[in-house]
Amino acid sequence: MRTPRALKRSIWVFHLNTGSCNACDIEILDVLAPFMDAERFGVKLVASPRHADVALLTGPITRETLPKVVNALRAMPRPRLVLAIGACAVSGGIWHDSYSVIGGFPRLKKILEENGVVIDRVVYVPGCPARPEAIIYGLAVLVGLLKKKVRKEVKEAGER
Amino acid sequence: MVKPILKLITVAKEAGVVTRKYPYDSPLLTEEFRGKIEIDASICWGCGACVKACPSNALTIRESMDVRELVYFAGRCIFCGRCADVCPTGAIKVTKEFELATEELEDLEQVVIHRKVKCPICGKHFVPQPLGRYVCEKCAKGGVPTYMMVCPECRRKVGVKKMIRCKGG
Repeated sequence: MRTPRALKRSIWVFHLNTGSCNACDIEILDVLAPFMDAERFGVKLVASPRHADVALLTGPITRETLPKVVNALRAMPRPRLVLAIGACAVSGGIWHDSYSVIGGFPRLKKILEENGVVIDRVVYVPGCPARPEAIIYGLAVLVGLLKKKVRKEVKEAGER
Repeated sequence: MVKPILKLITVAKEAGVVTRKYPYDSPLLTEEFRGKIEIDASICWGCGACVKACPSNALTIRESMDVRELVYFAGRCIFCGRCADVCPTGAIKVTKEFELATEELEDLEQVVIHRKVKCPICGKHFVPQPLGRYVCEKCAKGGVPTYMMVCPECRRKVGVKKMIRCKGG
């Protein structure tokens, strides 16, 4: 997919914590701090979803935060991009079968579609927590600087 | 006003540049770092020890009629490395791969397909072939077992029939 036109300029990110343990959030702070310095790519943290191009979504989306998350994502302008950071945001992580969480972004996406909120592009960044480098790599994939490396592998046992 | 700024400049000069040029440079990886696991399909038995050890159910087993699939989903993995510790054959290795960002969740899957042994009597599939082969090799030391590759149910039935015959029934 081609890079959305809005992202040819600086990427403004909004940090959206949906009930995570704060490990991924600290890694996001590391990304924005001078050591990893994501401002090299024009990444800037903004306080309101109305200003943001990308939502940095962490956590497994608890039932308590669900309406707030939907509201925040609805407030974002199109193209609406999401970077799901951490094992919890990707697929629920260790909470995947818990009663009190929605269980990752794929399930939230369905709820959003029912509510008429379109997400234009999602990039999943696994890791528990995701390394700062992994987050930068995810951002680069989202923007179109780098290409993804992983691919589905199916192997037959006993083949030598 | 100017003096503190001048002081800052000297401090900054002493510190130098700390920013890492990551996507264009190598990442900062220590020796203890654990990333995605890799399953060597040529040694894996399909015993399921890693599935029991996995705290987040990233490793699961999918059973069907004649195939047992070991599925590793990196999206749920917390990179604890317990599966590598418990693996009896050393088929699971922890790599330093962490650049797993992707748009589709299917890319994060790794599947190892094990064909099951077919029972010669009832035709049921019951155990992965490499695991069956290993058990045979281990048991062959004390005389070759007769009904080794027969499924447990059939083995029981055949055993009972044999016993009855021995008693002269």
